[in-house]
Amino acid sequence: MTKKYDTPLLDELEKGPFPSFVTEIKKAAAKNAMAADELGLLEKSFRDKVTYWKHGGIVGVRGYGGGVIGRYCELAEQFPGVAHFHTVRINQPAGLFYTSEAMRFICDVWDRYGSGLTNFHGSTGDIILLGTVTENLEAIGTVFSMNGFDLGGSGSAMRTPSCCVGPARCEWSMIDTLDITYDLTQEFQDELHRPSFPYKFKIKTVGCPVDCNAAIARADLSIIGTWKGPIEIDQDRVRDYAKKGMNIQEEIVNLCPGKCITWDGNNLAINNSDCLHCMNCITKLSGALKPTPPFGATILIGSKAPFVIGATLSWVIFPFMEMKSPYEEIKDFIRKATEWWSEYGKNRERIGELILRLGMREFLEAVGLQPTPEMVKEPRRDPFWFWKEGDLEGKPWESWLK
Amino acid sequence: MDKEELKKQIYTLIEQAQGKKKYKQMDVIKHFRNLGVPDAETKEAIRELVDGGQLIYTYMGGSYIELASKLEKFEKDIFK
Repeated sequence: MTKKYDTPLLDELEKGPFPSFVTEIKKAAAKNAMAADELGLLEKSFRDKVTYWKHGGIVGVRGYGGGVIGRYCELAEQFPGVAHFHTVRINQPAGLFYTSEAMRFICDVWDRYGSGLTNFHGSTGDIILLGTVTENLEAIGTVFSMNGFDLGGSGSAMRTPSCCVGPARCEWSMIDTLDITYDLTQEFQDELHRPSFPYKFKIKTVGCPVDCNAAIARADLSIIGTWKGPIEIDQDRVRDYAKKGMNIQEEIVNLCPGKCITWDGNNLAINNSDCLHCMNCITKLSGALKPTPPFGATILIGSKAPFVIGATLSWVIFPFMEMKSPYEEIKDFIRKATEWWSEYGKNRERIGELILRLGMREFLEAVGLQPTPEMVKEPRRDPFWFWKEGDLEGKPWESWLK
Repeated sequence: MDKEELKKQIYTLIEQAQGKKKYKQMDVIKHFRNLGVPDAETKEAIRELVDGGQLIYTYMGGSYIELASKLEKFEKDIFK
């Protein structure tokens, strides 16, 4: 029988039409002492307006530097069930596809070794298992490992790569996000499990510029599917949209950031060379417009939430990269970029922050890339091109004048 | 440098730094790079020390390498 607490403040969060995490914790609390004490502690935190958690620490599974986030409670005597309440991160399957058998297995393990409380999924993408004790960590690592799962990333390491559902369910996916994610996860096992970077490094892969995983805002390395061919137009279907009430001029033409679409009331035309690949027209006129090959990905670097500096969006590094297995080009780039960052980055400085501190020119030299116009983030802001004496000896302007 | 000797020196470096300086993996690699040890060899030696349970990765606002014996003391201290 688990301990019961009065929770008038938390009860408020069960009211209204939305699902409530309080209801779920109460269900777990009925059969698990850790979940029951978690409920009591949360009520007290709400009442006192104080968090009683201590975060961080040194617990883990032997050989792994990540995957377990130590958490301890300051009020261990009052709430002994949550004296230790470590979080375990498990590497999620690419695209978050599970069999119901796998789901049951994960939940059964967590009922046995933990609080029974989970997050499917955390913002990194991992399966998050909330609340266990230090003594159970080795057993948890072993049981998951024997059943084909592995710990995810945490700390100053590569985080578990994640992706959208990609070609498994989406008509617009231009790259195999699932295969790329699986391949990169296997390739960078050491970087994932043995923290050797100045801070976290996240890779997110999405199949198209709609960017359902928000890779452009949430990943140090964003791999975003794109296309090079012209957009195929089915004029009959475009007319059908117009007949059904869509205002093509307002909703498609006027919203095009490249100003490359025209509509004469009967035919839609796209000047593909001015297209910025935002996909607004393609998603709104679903079935009528279609991107065509060659398909590949735009590679961007450096987005992150606020920390040393404010939130940043990713920066284009490769306007177009073919994404074919075994993905050597992207792997080689990741190795060069992270080596440079590990060498010069300060503690808790993300790679994007280092690029801003030392300059994109330094970064491009380190990874062996030539500047291209697509890398210019803001006009008149990015002076990538600096002449060295040796460059001038070859009189490069003579070839330009030709 | 012989691998066992390198492991011994890495362990000693971390042990002597206790309470004074925290080493990240890259700090250890740079330390031994200055002594002429290739990065890959230092990395491999650290891996063996961690897998052998002599060193552990810790997280204190960043990931560091510390003595495994610190865990028991840490859990005693944290409840004080």
